[in-house]
Amino acid sequence: MSEFVYLYRGGEERTSSPQEMQQIMQRWMDWLQGLAGQGHIKDKGNPLERGGKIVRGQQKTVSDGPFAEAKDLVGGYTLVEAKDIDQAAELSKGCPIFDAGGYVEVRPVMKM
Amino acid sequence: MNAFLFLYHPPEGPPLTRQQMAEVMPVWMAWMKSLDERGHLRHAGNPLARSGKIVRGKPQTVTDGPFAEAKDVINGYTLIQASDLAQAAELAKGCPMLDGGGSVEVRSIAPM
Repeated sequence: MSEFVYLYRGGEERTSSPQEMQQIMQRWMDWLQGLAGQGHIKDKGNPLERGGKIVRGQQKTVSDGPFAEAKDLVGGYTLVEAKDIDQAAELSKGCPIFDAGGYVEVRPVMKM
Repeated sequence: MNAFLFLYHPPEGPPLTRQQMAEVMPVWMAWMKSLDERGHLRHAGNPLARSGKIVRGKPQTVTDGPFAEAKDVINGYTLIQASDLAQAAELAKGCPMLDGGGSVEVRSIAPM
């Protein structure tokens, strides 16, 4: 088994009601639990707030954003285990982010 | 203490060679160690290979990167703890990649 990281990108920013938010969260939990049950979750990772800072270059300047365009903004990550990248990509297809118009970037963890 | 994620954006240009990587690795290790000794390292995270798959749409399609043309390549992440976003950004200033022209995206972890 090898390790891969899912970077969840994009997905519309909707002003959902608390109830909708809870439903969306539940679908993520169900999906992650399903993967965990099959032994594919190494670290379920974390969802990220949209806000943040960028620290850049030799001058180490700190700025609010600018971030990637909204459609490419990373909204969270998960560390998974799969036998190869094709399986890792296949496993990502159940991710709820596709319902929100976002996508999953699947990246191999570099072996040091 | 609150949790934050560092997302590492490499400088533009080709990825580091194996030899360059071997040279910078001790610098990264020393930085991680110093974060840990000050109680700021929650999880060292992982470096990511410059390859991967993009899974998008409904029904989903799987394509290879390419990450060369992506403007916001991420080549690793680290989970940090800090009192607030400003302190997390301050800590990011020690990242060895900044000297080469890279940047660190500092993001707050969203409550579940």
